[in-house]
Amino acid sequence: MDAFNLLMSGFEIALTWENLLYCLIGVSIGMMVGILPGLGPSAGTALLIPMTFGMDPISAIVMLSGIFYGSMYGGTITTVLVNVPGEAASVITSLDGYPMAKQGRAGVALGISAIGSFIGGTVAIIGVAVVAPQLVKFALAFGPPEFFALIVFGMTMVVGLAGKSIIRGSIAVVLGLVLAMVGMAPGSGVVRFSFGIPHLIDGLNFVTIAMGLFGLSEILLGIEQQMKKPEKPPVVKGLFPSRKELRPSLMSIGRGTGLGFFMGLIPGTSSVVPALMSYSIEKRISKDPKRFGNGAIEGVAGPETANNSFCGGALIPLFLLGIPSSATMAVLLGAFILHGLQPGPTLFVRHPDFVWAVIASMFIGNLLLLFMNLPMAKMWAKVASVPFKLLFPIIIAISIVGTYSISNSLWDVGGLLVFGLLGYFLKKADIPVAPVALMFILGDLMEKSLLQSLALYKGDFFAIFTRPLSGTLLALSVLVITLSIVAGFKSKKDNLVDVEA
Amino acid sequence: MGNFGVWIGIFILSIACFIFWSSQPLQYYGEYGPGPGLFPTWLSGVLALLSILYIIDCLRKENRISFSNVIPKGKVLFRVLTVVASIVVFILIAPWTGYLIAGIIVTIIMLLPDFKWYSSLAISTIVTFALFFIFKTLLDIPLPVNAFGW
Repeated sequence: MDAFNLLMSGFEIALTWENLLYCLIGVSIGMMVGILPGLGPSAGTALLIPMTFGMDPISAIVMLSGIFYGSMYGGTITTVLVNVPGEAASVITSLDGYPMAKQGRAGVALGISAIGSFIGGTVAIIGVAVVAPQLVKFALAFGPPEFFALIVFGMTMVVGLAGKSIIRGSIAVVLGLVLAMVGMAPGSGVVRFSFGIPHLIDGLNFVTIAMGLFGLSEILLGIEQQMKKPEKPPVVKGLFPSRKELRPSLMSIGRGTGLGFFMGLIPGTSSVVPALMSYSIEKRISKDPKRFGNGAIEGVAGPETANNSFCGGALIPLFLLGIPSSATMAVLLGAFILHGLQPGPTLFVRHPDFVWAVIASMFIGNLLLLFMNLPMAKMWAKVASVPFKLLFPIIIAISIVGTYSISNSLWDVGGLLVFGLLGYFLKKADIPVAPVALMFILGDLMEKSLLQSLALYKGDFFAIFTRPLSGTLLALSVLVITLSIVAGFKSKKDNLVDVEA
Repeated sequence: MGNFGVWIGIFILSIACFIFWSSQPLQYYGEYGPGPGLFPTWLSGVLALLSILYIIDCLRKENRISFSNVIPKGKVLFRVLTVVASIVVFILIAPWTGYLIAGIIVTIIMLLPDFKWYSSLAISTIVTFALFFIFKTLLDIPLPVNAFGW
């Protein structure tokens, strides 16, 4: 009942005209980010962080999270219409969404994905509202060894799931931690690796890194791949599935909702994982699996629902533990910190107005997105045909202004270029960049919790294994890595693409 | 010599060695517990090991990445370099010209290869003024300005 009252007060804040406007702006920009090739949700969210500097923290996070889940909806449109996934999770949707469009059923594919996304997103947010307050006490019991073990577990999930090989994933993870070491060391306050440069005393800026690794590097790769004329989108008509398709679609949506929500709770996964798992489940339980890949509606409904539901579930580790589940969540975490909010178990206690207003705004945002998707699908399809050669100079111009405004310094613009080129060459070397950003934001917490744990146990690292929760998490980490190595040797591992560009 | 992966591995290995060398003056373990040198020392060791494994992996025939597959050619290379150059130009000229002129120049540099000069000028002017209005006027976020305040 208490949670219900808090949620209602959250609605009061979220329904002010100002926050409604920011929510609308956020989901609209998110839709565009998802639709336009060359920008993923991480880059889109990072790009807009500087715009929120002058805003109230609640409005800022309402807008930024709107970009996040808006891009999940938007990514589907280009995937279905022109087979160009705007973001990584939509790659799975293209397997059946695009064949449906070729059969003249683009409207139905878009309709069922919008309905599935709405149901998945809304149910997941209800889940957050119900589950998160119950978990606060559990999260408050987290000490330094538990935090360290949880980050290690997230790290192994990232390494095990993202990329071509464990070596490449591990390099990305360690590079992220190395970048996080620049600046003041946790605990002692000693300035490390600043080489006398005043800009490095406070460490590297996360927004610069995210904009370079996700934004600029994607643009540079996009120039190589997308300079050709965009395909003309097919006509969108008939947005609802037939009566025969309704039941299997709803069943897929139900399964996708549960799967996405629970996958969101696991640090280190990304929305690609539940989408892929959902597709695989739908295909496996189907009476006629041969339909998959040729326009099966369940192949669109399940994964689309799962990736939106994941976004809701992923809020729990973010709000309660300050642990992002994916690169986009890491960008959101960066925005939290910039606005003076430290996610963690005390966030619910110290800033309940903020937490519940953001949760309430997500209900509203999902509803807005449903209306923006179903009747306006044709308009969004036209946005998809903006040529890349016009788009990329505008994105670069926004990136330059955005990075400059982080600290009113051209130093950050230089950082954008350096990290853009780093991301570009790492991707060419098959090294995923998402773990770099993810671990950069967790690096400080990881080192701090490791040092505190070692101080607690007088330097005995293995004592961390003796605590029930941290021991279990570390044992699970060892298991994940062992399984990944074994699977890698047997060449049976599902090679997921570099997650969330 | 033409294996891109090996060069990336060597680059990462040199970062690891540099971090290890730079972390030596930092205290590893003190009277009250671990010092600021502990984490970097271990991390640089792990990174060095991983980079060596990566180099070995890249030497395998099926994982070989040749430079010809990495560095774009012709028009595409020119476009990639245009983007890099435009950001460098912005860093160099913005403190003197201010955002409006620098912004228009860098956007034109990127647009000119694909659009006529007058279209490029029009698009870059609109984009730059729109961003100036949003960031400086609407959001009150400082942008680089010239002696005249724009």
